[in-house]
Amino acid sequence: MREETRREAVWQFLTYAFILLGAILTLVPLYWIFVASTLKESQFLSSTSPRLAPGDSFFANFQSLQARENVQFVGHVGEMTHYIDLGPFYIAYDFWNLWNMGAIESSIFVAGVYTLLSLLLCSMAGFAFAKYEFRFKKPIFYAILATLILPIQLLVIPLFLLMSQLGLTNNYWAIILPWAANPLGIFLMRQNMRSIPDALLESARMDGATEFQLFYKIALPTMKSSLAALSIILFLFQWNLFLFPLVILDQGKYTIPVAINQLVGAQRVYYDQIMVAATLSIIPIFILFLFLQKQFVSGILAGSVKE
Amino acid sequence: MSGITLDTVRKEFGSGEEAVLAVEDVDLEIEDGEFLVLVGPSGCGKTTTLRCIAGLEDVTSGRILFGDRDVTEFRARERDVAMVFQNYALYPHMDVRDNIGFGLKLSTQQSAAEIDQQVEDVAAMLGISDLLDDKPKELSGGQQQRVALGRAIVRDPAAFLMDEPLSNLDAKLRSQMRTELQTLQHDLDVTTVYVTHDQTEAMAMGDRIAVMNDGRLQQVGTAEEVYRSPVNEFVADFIGSPSINVFDATVDGSRLDGPGGFTYHLSDASPVEGLDTVRVGIRPEDITLVDDGIPMVANVLEPMGNENFLYTTLGDHDITARIDPTKRPQPDETVEFAFEESALYLFDPDTGDALKTKDDGEIPDRGADTNARSSETDEALEEAVE
Repeated sequence: MREETRREAVWQFLTYAFILLGAILTLVPLYWIFVASTLKESQFLSSTSPRLAPGDSFFANFQSLQARENVQFVGHVGEMTHYIDLGPFYIAYDFWNLWNMGAIESSIFVAGVYTLLSLLLCSMAGFAFAKYEFRFKKPIFYAILATLILPIQLLVIPLFLLMSQLGLTNNYWAIILPWAANPLGIFLMRQNMRSIPDALLESARMDGATEFQLFYKIALPTMKSSLAALSIILFLFQWNLFLFPLVILDQGKYTIPVAINQLVGAQRVYYDQIMVAATLSIIPIFILFLFLQKQFVSGILAGSVKE
Repeated sequence: MSGITLDTVRKEFGSGEEAVLAVEDVDLEIEDGEFLVLVGPSGCGKTTTLRCIAGLEDVTSGRILFGDRDVTEFRARERDVAMVFQNYALYPHMDVRDNIGFGLKLSTQQSAAEIDQQVEDVAAMLGISDLLDDKPKELSGGQQQRVALGRAIVRDPAAFLMDEPLSNLDAKLRSQMRTELQTLQHDLDVTTVYVTHDQTEAMAMGDRIAVMNDGRLQQVGTAEEVYRSPVNEFVADFIGSPSINVFDATVDGSRLDGPGGFTYHLSDASPVEGLDTVRVGIRPEDITLVDDGIPMVANVLEPMGNENFLYTTLGDHDITARIDPTKRPQPDETVEFAFEESALYLFDPDTGDALKTKDDGEIPDRGADTNARSSETDEALEEAVE
């Protein structure tokens, strides 16, 4: 074997070993949460070493979680309060009440709407910053970036006042709108959209595209992988949001992090229920990731312009 | 279809003190159906001029007219011109069919079937019918180039604008595409403005050539005109390969004294009247090796088969000569050369303006029909027209 090839092989081995180590460090706590959710509280609290084999108490734990009065984790069928009575049939038209949303559904709804809205705003802003010249472009961009350093604790009170003046207290829009134009998202999209060749956009202009068509027919489709990555970031950001939802939402509308917080009682902490809730809260993220994974292919711009 | 008129078009980038002048008051009339090549060295403003015509740059002052229509304030998409970019700029997420049809979808009300038909006709014309379902990244450079051309042709625009479309191809493909492009342009009879830095390409392709330098239009004319009768030393130097030999000479009545003992008696001294020095130019092909001429020292011989290029030194000046392939002077050998006075170029040493250019007979008429036509392209075109 040639010296170079061998060195390459060693490097490859070390790289994979490092990645494997990272994967283990990341996955072990998640696995432990899953294992703990299948055990009785006493089983994982009393043992001196972490237990790695799953038990059979998952559904028992889940039932005790669902039985709690101060938090609705997974929703249930609601009462049809508005319907047209057709003798043997009922036609419900108050669909909102057909299902009483629990924390999981709330979080999926809020994070989903937030992600879509924010993707649109961030990519539009990113496109403008990357591909247009306008007055005060740099100062505006840096001002947006600067908001990244503001801690949420600083924003809670002014945001609360603003939202209550807008009449949005205890409304999901109150936790969607304030972060809809996400500075990190704008930054990421701007960086990625800079890689779109100007000639590509000019070519579309010559072909008769309007500026908005440039954005959604040329820029967005070439940015699929960036949009997929940003989707995960945005979804997770909203999924994990805790302090402001706690302040602005009432108990019936809690999202997952706030709902889990309710399991920490004054007298005792319901670890078994927390573990079940945590396990369940991972599932939607996991599905989202699987769904977007195939979009994480780089080089979508390949072949557009000849270097 | 229409001609294009540039009326004192000026383009500055930036403003105030930092303004950079890219195009300086260019006046240019391009006739309907003409193939005009804008040629010049990098940074001469040729691409900027093209982009102004395209509407991708706003002009600082002046007007641009398509026919009688003033399009100066029109946006690119309102001008009905198509552009082929140096790097092709194909839409990476669309297949060839969508790439070619994109403009039609946006700018016409035609049905999907009609658009598809036109796309297929153009693809047939360009010989890329079997690539219609491929993505740009699956294509070779030459194929991408054809797709880019197809995208321009399918829209049947008022004018084609081409920004160095062949410069990314290898030499063989380039000369092949050069011929195809000329044939296409001739058959379609669409006004075309073609930008290149390659003077050979410019000479070979253009009905007329517009030579630019430093943002200024130097000369517009047929290949023969700019070659034989350049308006100044820049044009003389830029057009022609290998370049014209130019050196300083002092004027003494009708005698010119140059480097390395160069002496020449003008039979007609009127061009140099009142001048102390003059710039003397001789094209390499006008130099002949003789037994009793002006001596110079041979350096390198490049045999090309049908001709030989001889690089020599005259005093401290390099002189290139195109000589008979049977003559093969050795390095450091002293050779003697001569030339006809009619082939001599003289330039003003201060302004560079031409005082005398080549006057060895009539410029041959260059009819449009001298362009080669390939029969396949003709057939495909006829099908497309039907």
